[in-house]
Formats: sequence, structure tokens, C-alpha cells
Amino acid sequence: MSQDIVLQTEGLCKYWGGLKALDNMNLAFHDKSLHGIVGPNGAGKSTLLNMLCGTYKPTRGRILHHGDAIEDIRAYEFVRRGIGRGFQKTNIYPQTTCLENCCVAAQRRTGGSFNIFARRNRDKLLIEMAEAALEKVGLQHRRDAIAAQISYGEQRQLEIAMVLATAPSVLLLDEPMAGMGHEESRLIIDLLQTLKTDYCIVLVEHDMEAVFELSDQLTVMVNGQHLVTGTVDDVRNDRRVKEAYLGQGDEVI
Amino acid sequence: MDFAIFLVQLLNGLQYGLLLFLIASGLTLVFGVMGILNLAHGSMYMVGAYLAWYFTLHTDSFLLGALLSAVIALALGIVIEKTLICRLYKRNHLDQVLLTIGMIFVFNALQSLLWGNDSLGVDVPELLSGSIQLTELVAYPVYRLFVAVLCLVLAAGLYLLINRTRLGMLIRAGESNREMVECLGIDINRLYTIVFGAGVMLAALAGVISAPIASIVPGMGEHVLITCFVVVVIGGMGSIKGAFVAALMVGIVDTFASVLFPAVSSMVVYILMAVILLIKPQGLFSN
Amino acid sequence: MIFTNKTEQLFVWIFFPLALLLPLFLEQNVFYINKLTTVLIFAIFVMSLDYLVGRCGLITLGHSMFYGLGGYLFFMIAPEYEAVNFWVYTFYICVIAAVIALLVGVIVLRTSGIYMIMITLAIAQMCFYFFSDSIHFGGNDGLFILMKPDTSLFGLAFFDLDNPIHFYYFCLLSLFNCLAFWKLVLASRFGRIMDAVKNNPDRTTALGYNVFLFRLISYVMASALASYAGYLFALQYGYVNPSMMSWQTSGSALVMSILGGMGSIYGAILGTAVYSGLHYIFEHMTEHWLLPMGLMIIAMVMVFKSGIAGFIENWVERRK
Repeated sequence: MSQDIVLQTEGLCKYWGGLKALDNMNLAFHDKSLHGIVGPNGAGKSTLLNMLCGTYKPTRGRILHHGDAIEDIRAYEFVRRGIGRGFQKTNIYPQTTCLENCCVAAQRRTGGSFNIFARRNRDKLLIEMAEAALEKVGLQHRRDAIAAQISYGEQRQLEIAMVLATAPSVLLLDEPMAGMGHEESRLIIDLLQTLKTDYCIVLVEHDMEAVFELSDQLTVMVNGQHLVTGTVDDVRNDRRVKEAYLGQGDEVI
Repeated sequence: MDFAIFLVQLLNGLQYGLLLFLIASGLTLVFGVMGILNLAHGSMYMVGAYLAWYFTLHTDSFLLGALLSAVIALALGIVIEKTLICRLYKRNHLDQVLLTIGMIFVFNALQSLLWGNDSLGVDVPELLSGSIQLTELVAYPVYRLFVAVLCLVLAAGLYLLINRTRLGMLIRAGESNREMVECLGIDINRLYTIVFGAGVMLAALAGVISAPIASIVPGMGEHVLITCFVVVVIGGMGSIKGAFVAALMVGIVDTFASVLFPAVSSMVVYILMAVILLIKPQGLFSN
Repeated sequence: MIFTNKTEQLFVWIFFPLALLLPLFLEQNVFYINKLTTVLIFAIFVMSLDYLVGRCGLITLGHSMFYGLGGYLFFMIAPEYEAVNFWVYTFYICVIAAVIALLVGVIVLRTSGIYMIMITLAIAQMCFYFFSDSIHFGGNDGLFILMKPDTSLFGLAFFDLDNPIHFYYFCLLSLFNCLAFWKLVLASRFGRIMDAVKNNPDRTTALGYNVFLFRLISYVMASALASYAGYLFALQYGYVNPSMMSWQTSGSALVMSILGGMGSIYGAILGTAVYSGLHYIFEHMTEHWLLPMGLMIIAMVMVFKSGIAGFIENWVERRK
């Protein structure tokens, strides 16, 4: 891999009581590339993502961002370092317009969020930033629509636009294509194709076809354990992966 | 403080704590199973005390009065659940707070309408009116011991009910997963009615048995409600075991504080609560 | 124009001119002027609660603590036999109340939902018992103000605290300022994030905001203004007593805020006025006024959820 390592985990563990949700995870995520993470249900993918964005604190191990250990800082400080996170369930402000959704996301960068006298919509720059984010995901025509009233696929796009509006360098995406039809998924896949030329993207996704198409690096996880990491072709031909996905293949035969 | 006085205070504290548990258990049960914060719970305690006074006066028997009061309280609880509370399950906490504040208003008004605003009292039943000599100089009233024992029996009964019976199993299931109970084909509404009715009856029963040792006055419900909040918060919302431990703690601390630091005694339990919350923000026995 | 909503403009244009003219009709009757002043003062308090509950999603049953503190703080810091400056002490009281709110907020805002309701209530009760048990602060009977403050600013006395009409107008001005202040806050960049915090706190954290800090600032602002209202109340009647911080005060303020239309801010004025009016009428009808009041509250929760403001807004919408 030629690009720099942006985000890295060293011996990352998360135990819930006696349950090992995630055990000894050593991964490196590179700039301007897409790193797919797959695995059966309960493999610990979401747990990993939740730790990479600071929602969960690791039981043991380290998270390095450009070489700095960040596992102890607060969740909102992850975003300030440029680690943005999209959610599995659509997680937007449904009662407001798409533009306003992105304004909330972008306002942290322009500052003045504690100013109780500065009017909301006076700042041209802020509006522009929010519009730029909408444009990136192709939602500019929905600028003034109420978020609750746009289609599900568009809400997923809005979700990504909000993350982009925080000006991240790392995008952590949790099943952005969940519950989508084929054509809608296509939109997101194309979007991620363009985005990965600018960002470091970590993608957790069940849709194998999409992951194989998009990933530069692919990690397979099973039961909280790291199974294999490599290029799509490496993973496709790995015997252990087949076993994990097809059950104990050898024994059946 | 010599040993005899210490013993008397300890007994007082235990007895008060057990009484608090009786009230708080209903509050915490209704919250744990139904997710309802019932601010009018203290009013039920008041209603119990007034009913006990009324029926004892008219039947000349405390026992008969107590039984009648308990039955009426149970009926009252069921009616309230069926008419008002049942509409609140899908609503937010704010609506629950408001509705139950409205209920407090109504109960206070009814109390002054029906029974006036004078302080009332009930005589201790003759059978239990004696006292036991602890030392040569210090005696302890039998009725207070009776209250403590009765509360303990009820607490044990509650424990067995929740841990050993089918109804108790449903209650525990309802606490941890509401949908699951519904999926099992159980009429959750009936469970809610039973739990709420039982909660009201427990609070009223506490009012009944404390009638002979406390003065029956307007506003007695609110005071006990806030103390029960402290108990429930310390014990952890929805936890019966927590309510038991916390009630004894509050009872003993409050009793000793009023002897040792009379000037600030009414604040001490709140300070206790603040300290415990700083250490364990979810209470002692939260899930 | 900070009043963007149509109904809100309508309200401001009807209510404030009406309130300005009202004393002309009641000139001889000091009793009614005083009653109305009390309503105005309480509306300031209810408004701060409306912001906290309706716009921040922080349900508190202990807000009356700050209302009462506003009165008691004056006794704690002002010399007994000397007329102090009104403006200076207004500033002191708001600042001290804000500092107390900061400390209380750090404990209270770590919890949420029902826990927060119960803990705010318990802390307010603690404060209530502190004042009602304390001989130093007059216990249950409260305290009397011996010297009312002097209201001169740069040597000019604009109004006289002992003149009910002067005080009425001052409270009306205060109420308007508070309304304008809250509208300003809501329309601000801070207000945008506060809306976001209320509607979806998890997402707001995930966008890089310190949700706790936003809540804390809101809590401090609302508490300071609640204290201001309590201070005005103490000045109007010249005394304070612990019932100002009883849980019933919080409870009825909550009812007023809902009655007016939760989160609408201007609805707090409507709610306070209507509730106080009903209280007055019921009290004259029967000594058991709690009964109709309680039934009204129950009916309100069951069928009248959006409050008066919501009702009028619907009506205005339909007329368009």
C-alpha cells in the first residue's frame, strides 16, 4: 500500500463481562482507499466501528490516529480530529430540512456554536459548506425538503452528506446500503467510488457484491476474532474464509 | 446516648424503614414493570390512612377497618389504571408527571371535601396497645413492633410472589422485556392492572397501619412521596431488592439524624442520596 | 424581527398593547394591579421552564428551587438596614444563581429521563427543607424585606418600587425582554445546536458537539432567569417564604407551560395567565378549588396536548 496509514488499531479488545465482542484486533487503515470489513452476524464489526469513533471505550489496546493514541479521548473529540461516522439505522434530524441537517453538521467547523446572539442563517460560508456536502452526495435538489419526507435511499445519502459536512479525513460507514433496493444501492456504490479517491473509508457492509467491488483492502472477522486481511482476491481464495461462511465445510464433505 | 436509647432509636429506624419499603415497593414495581412514574403514589398512602380512620370510627374495629380500606384501595387502583393510566403507556414522561400531578390535586381536594382539614388520629387496637420493657426505664410499644413484623411478612410475601409464582415470573419478564411478554400471548394489560392495583394497595396498607402511630393530616402523602423517591433513587429504579435496602438505610439514617443533628435532620437523607448518586449514578441495585 | 411565527406575532401585537393599557382601566384598584404583576413575574419563571423542558428536553421538577433562591439570595447578600442598588443586586443575584445552577447542573445533567425528574425534585426539596427548618432564615414563615432597593441608574430614578403601577410596567418590560431573549437564543447558532441536542442527542455527539456542555449552558441560563423572577416576586411583596421553592410551585409551573403550549415560549405567558385566571375563579367558587383544577389538568393531558399556542396556531393555519 502506497498511501499513508491514517488510522490504526493495536491489540484492540472489547469485553462485555465475560463475552469477547472483539479480541486483539490489529488493523491499519490507509488514506484514499476503502477498507471493507465483513463477517457473519455477531462478528464484532459494529463493535469495532463503535470503538473507532469513540462511542465505546476499548477494554484493552490502542487506537492510533496519525500516530497519536486517541482511545481515551471523548466521543465528540474523535469527530474534531476528522473521524466521521455514519449510522446503520438512519440517524438524522427528521423534522428539519436537508440543508439544516447539514448546517448542524458543518457549524462545528465555522465555530460560534456557543454564541447565543449570532443568528443562525446569517453566515454565507456555513450555508455554502452545507450545500457543498449535499452536492457531493447528489442531494442538491432536495435542499429544502423536510428530511422525514424524502425517500429512504435519500435519507441514507443525507446521512453520508452529514458526515461529509463535518470535513472528515476518515469515514466510518456502518451498512450504508442496508435495506435498499438494487438501484438505490447502485447510487451509494457509485458515490463511494468517488469518495474513496479523497477519503480513508472504513466500510462495514453485508452486501458482498458491493464490498468486493469497492474494497481496496478487505478484513474478515468471525466471533470477535480477526480472520484474514488482504486484497479482494486474497480473501476470495482464502480457505478459512470459505469455512467461516459455509460452516465447517471440511467435515460436511 | 446510652444503649437502651440507641436500641429504641434503632427499632424506630427499622420500623420506619420497613414502612417506607412498603410504599416504595409499589412505586418501584409500577415503574419497573409499566414504565410509569406515579407522583400520586403518596396520595394513596394518605387515602389509606383516612380510610382506616373513617372505617375504624364507624365499625369500631381496626381490623375490620383495615381490611375494608385495603379492599377499597385495590378497587381504586384498578379503576384508576383502567380509566387513566392505561392511556399513558405510549406517552412520554412529561404527560405522566402532569396526569399524576392532576391526580394529587383531585385526591387532596376530595380529602378536604370528605374529611375536612383537621388533624385526625386512630387509637391503637387494644390487643396491641401495651409496651415491652426493654430495660428498667425504657419501654417499647407493642404496636410499633407489630408494624415492623407485619411489614417484614409482607416483604417476604412479595419476595415469594415475585420469585416463586407464575405471576411473579410475568412481572420479572415484563421488567426486562415488554415485547416478549406480549409475544408469549399474555394479556399485558391485565398484568399492568394487577401490578398497579397491587402497588396502590401496598401504599394504602402502609397508610392504614401507620394511622395509629402517625397523625392523619392533609399533605401527609406528598411528604412520604418525596422520601420514597429518595428510597427508589438510592436503591435503583425498578429494583425491589434495592428499595428494601435503601428503605432501611433511609429509615435508620433519618431516625438517628433527628436525634443527633436535629437542626438539619430533614436534609440528611437528601445528602445521603446525593453522595450515593455521586458514587453510583444509577443507584445501588440498578440493572 | 425575531418573532418569525405568524401566531407569535399576532400574540405579541395583541398581548403587549393590551397589557400596557390595562392599568388605565384598573387605576383605582391596587389589588388587581398587584395580582396582574404577580402573573407577569410568574410568567418569566414559567418561560424559563418552558425553554428547559420544551426546547432542551430536560424535564425538571426542581426549577422552583431557583425561583425561591432568587428571593433568599437577596437576604443573604444585601445589608439589612440599607437600601441597596436594584440593578447591582439584580446582577449579583443572577450571577450567584448561575454559579449554583452550574454546580447543580453538573450533578443533575449526568442523568436523564425519569432519573432526572426525581433527582431535581429531591435536590429542590433539600433546599426547601434547608430554608424551612432554618431559624436564621425565618423558617416556615419566611423573611420580610426591611429596606427595598433603590432603583436609580446613574443618579436617575426611573421608577419607584413601592408604586404598584410603576412596578407593573417594569415587570411587563422584563417579561418582554425575557421573551425577546429566549427567541434570540432559539434563533441563534447556539439554538440550532440545542434543537439538534433535543431532537437527537446521539447524532449530535457523533457530529462532534459536547452535548453535556450545551445542556449545562441552557440549564444555567434558565436557572438565572428563574432566580430573577423570584427576586422580583420578593420585591413585590416584600417577603419570601419557603413555599416559593416547594415542589407544588414547580408542578404548577409545569402545568402552565403545558397549558400554554410546551416549547412555544410565548405560550408560557398564555398558560400562566389562563391558569392564574382559572385559579382565581375556582377559588372564588369553592374552597375546594383543587378539585376542578385537578380535573382540568387531567382533561388537558388527555385531550388538549398541544396547549393553547398549538390550538391557536392550528386555527390561524386553517384560516389562511
